Amino acid sequence: MDLQTEVLIIGGGATGAGISRDLALRGIPSLLVEKDDFTSGASGRNQGLLHSGARYAVTDPEAARECITENRILRRIAPHCIEDTGGLFVSLPEDGHEYRANFIRACGVAGIDTEPLSAREALSMEPKLSPLMIGAVQVPDGAIDPFTLVVENARDAESRGARFLLHTEVTGLIREGLRISGARVKDRITGEEFTIAASQVINATGAWANEILSLAGLSIGIALSKGSMLITNTRLSERVINRCRPPASGDIIVPNDTVSILGTTSLRAEDLENHAVTPEEVSFLVDELSRMIPAIKGERFTRAYAGVRPLVQTAQAGDDREISRGFALIDHQSRDGLEGLITITGGKLITYRLMAEKTADFICARMGLHVPCLTHLQPLPGAGRGHTFQDRLLRLRHQIPAFRRELLCDCELVPREAVDAILREGKVRELQDILHRTRLAKGTCQGGFCVYRLLGVLNERRKEEGLGGSNRILKGFLEERWKGIRPVLWGTSLKEEELIESIYKGLFNLTPEEAATADGGHP
Amino acid sequence: MKRWDLIVIGTGLAGLTAARTAVEMGAKVLVIGRGMGSLTLFGNTIDVLGEIPPGADMATGVADWIAVHPDHPYARMGWSGISEALNAFRELFPSPYTFDSVGRGNSLVPTGAGTMRPTYLLPITMTAGAGMSAADTLIIGLRGFKDFQGDTVSLDLQCRGVNLSLPRYGLEGLTALALARLMDEGPFRESLGEAIRRQMAGEKRIGLPAVLGLKAPADVLKTLETITGAKVFEIPMLPPSIPGTRIFHRFREFLIAKGATFLLGNPVIGADVKEGRCEGITLQNPPLLTVYRAERYILATGRFLGGGIQADRERISEPLFHLPVLQPESRGEWFRERFFQPEAHPIHRAGIVTDAELRPVDAGGRVILKNVRAAGSILAHHQMIEEHSHEGIDIATGYLAVRRALAS
Repeated sequence: MDLQTEVLIIGGGATGAGISRDLALRGIPSLLVEKDDFTSGASGRNQGLLHSGARYAVTDPEAARECITENRILRRIAPHCIEDTGGLFVSLPEDGHEYRANFIRACGVAGIDTEPLSAREALSMEPKLSPLMIGAVQVPDGAIDPFTLVVENARDAESRGARFLLHTEVTGLIREGLRISGARVKDRITGEEFTIAASQVINATGAWANEILSLAGLSIGIALSKGSMLITNTRLSERVINRCRPPASGDIIVPNDTVSILGTTSLRAEDLENHAVTPEEVSFLVDELSRMIPAIKGERFTRAYAGVRPLVQTAQAGDDREISRGFALIDHQSRDGLEGLITITGGKLITYRLMAEKTADFICARMGLHVPCLTHLQPLPGAGRGHTFQDRLLRLRHQIPAFRRELLCDCELVPREAVDAILREGKVRELQDILHRTRLAKGTCQGGFCVYRLLGVLNERRKEEGLGGSNRILKGFLEERWKGIRPVLWGTSLKEEELIESIYKGLFNLTPEEAATADGGHP
Repeated sequence: MKRWDLIVIGTGLAGLTAARTAVEMGAKVLVIGRGMGSLTLFGNTIDVLGEIPPGADMATGVADWIAVHPDHPYARMGWSGISEALNAFRELFPSPYTFDSVGRGNSLVPTGAGTMRPTYLLPITMTAGAGMSAADTLIIGLRGFKDFQGDTVSLDLQCRGVNLSLPRYGLEGLTALALARLMDEGPFRESLGEAIRRQMAGEKRIGLPAVLGLKAPADVLKTLETITGAKVFEIPMLPPSIPGTRIFHRFREFLIAKGATFLLGNPVIGADVKEGRCEGITLQNPPLLTVYRAERYILATGRFLGGGIQADRERISEPLFHLPVLQPESRGEWFRERFFQPEAHPIHRAGIVTDAELRPVDAGGRVILKNVRAAGSILAHHQMIEEHSHEGIDIATGYLAVRRALAS
């Protein structure tokens, strides 16, 4: 199977999916390849913050303006992916009034609405805030669901003719003299290898940009910065809570549906694929953020995770075509004399659409087309459909008679029908793909119960298809789950873990893969 | 307050065994539990030491194993002590709902994940699982009952599986407990038996989720076997555990009949300790705090799940008597990098260190409280999950702790 397309997009994060949609709306065919599932990189490993830009107002006014512009556009085109929580910048005694005054001024310059609040007003809005606070400023921050956002971009693009290949890895770039004319790829599940010919190749792999460029003997100056986050078991605040001081580690708490996400740290990343959250990072986040919300000290954490930010090194950007301090669009023809390849990297989730727009503009210019961008005007297809816990509850209540439902997850209200519908679409290929598309394994037990049930649903299909079963999938899930759980095991989480180990290692006798063949237990 | 001979704190299998041993010796016993204990979560069969290969002689196997694990709780009583305690347990379950080993040692029984698990004593409702083979067994799942996935079990065991629907009873969304209560009713088990019979294709054994009733599981088994003409067995599944709940109920019924007092649902929040002795414990029963006093105390509060030990971000501690807890140096060493590893996570060996009589000791080996003994999973130096030794440790140490306590 060899494929051909006009534009080959590498990377299924927000940027890649955004480019795919932008090109589709302009009528340009594209094909996107992603080595895992959508949002497997930084797009799925961030805090889910709909930036107002206020965080950058003092230090980087240009980035702040970009953020607030995109913030307003996303509220228009993707309201169903956003919870309009609002945000507070909270001043503690040690932060002083001076920075706060600068902050309010700088927000004004960047065009970000602010409303100063007294400590008393802020406390009445967010009762868990520290009573020691000296004041707060309200800004238009919000929460955004990156996975829905990316999938909706992809779905819309697909309905307009774009194509996607998930779990498909680029293994080589096809070079004809001074020109890149496509890529060699490999299906990571079937192992099948094939080529994709394209007139333009876009490297939208974020932190993996140099991995792709190395296939052409190139590299760019990006620094990889690991950011770690913690998920609480309950939602701590209605609004996004920021610390009103110069940007630093451990300064933000973002509400996310029924939980809150604490962030972040910033450490030089050494490994792109494996980045464990250390006990020191966990302790730092808990200690630092409990200064704003003291209840964090006694809070239960369900998971820790880390993402890798690709930071474009501006010092080296002299010959790059620099569009913004936040992201970089690099034309390898002008930079390296290699035609047909561009790299888009850096940036933030909130600017994904702008990055896609600039990339598509560039492609159009290359192709000699004059088609305007539409992504800032055209809402995503699912706009209008709510996605919060309350919405799910309402749908359950109205659509189906009570007590006749098989809920795979009782905590996050995931009915079996939701999984059946995803399976019917026929696009998911791995257990993790289903977990991405539902709220399974996102609640308190982190999949300890519901993934067993999900596996039963999958096995029912495997049986119909005449396939065998394998508890390797279950073990693989538990191993993956462990990465997020291990850093937060104390207090109540530790109790839960004893329960999970007692079930899977004790009652179900699941053993390490190496030893499993020697158990002699299978008849 | 009234003085008791013995107060047992904890209603897991260790605490219940301790209480039962004490009433058999004529003691006046108070049992205090915050809930129904871990039996209702995981109790199914009686694991003693899964590392002994199936079929091998238990007595020799355990004795040899203890020789290389001299710190293990089993080293306190040896195989003779363990088997004495196990025999006492078995006496509590007379015919028809009995607990027996299959042969002289461990046997392998199927689980809800489609694996086989080594165990020692099986309730009569699980015995037929120990002899199953892929060719002669049919696995029955119940459509809509999500905590037992029949297809996972049958695919992994490579035998035939069928998911039954009993529309008349509307099983969708039912819990294990609700199903077990349905099984206690004659008409349901007969409908189920008939439905199974219609699906059979010459199989000689039928595996079902472990929900065959709370009141008379042996009767349910008999009904199903009569209708299907096959051997029927229960398969352990996700918590809550119906077989474990049966064990809990049996102990409670026996203990109450023998005059023991049960206080369930309220936490013990403090202990009155004077001159190396416990003089009383305080139970929180809002708005009251009540002090209960006894000559002797058994601490059988379990591990993290039971609340016997707890951890903050720095240390593991024992909250009631503030006993020293054997533990790794720092939080970074509690768990290994991977979930599944040949070696257990170091935190599993954490717990209370005792002398030969199960009295907690300090780092220098000195007894801390003369009249308090620790029993069950709270003890240090075992890895009950990986060893498959949970029930064995509970029964053997609960038994020994009381024998020693009442002898003093």
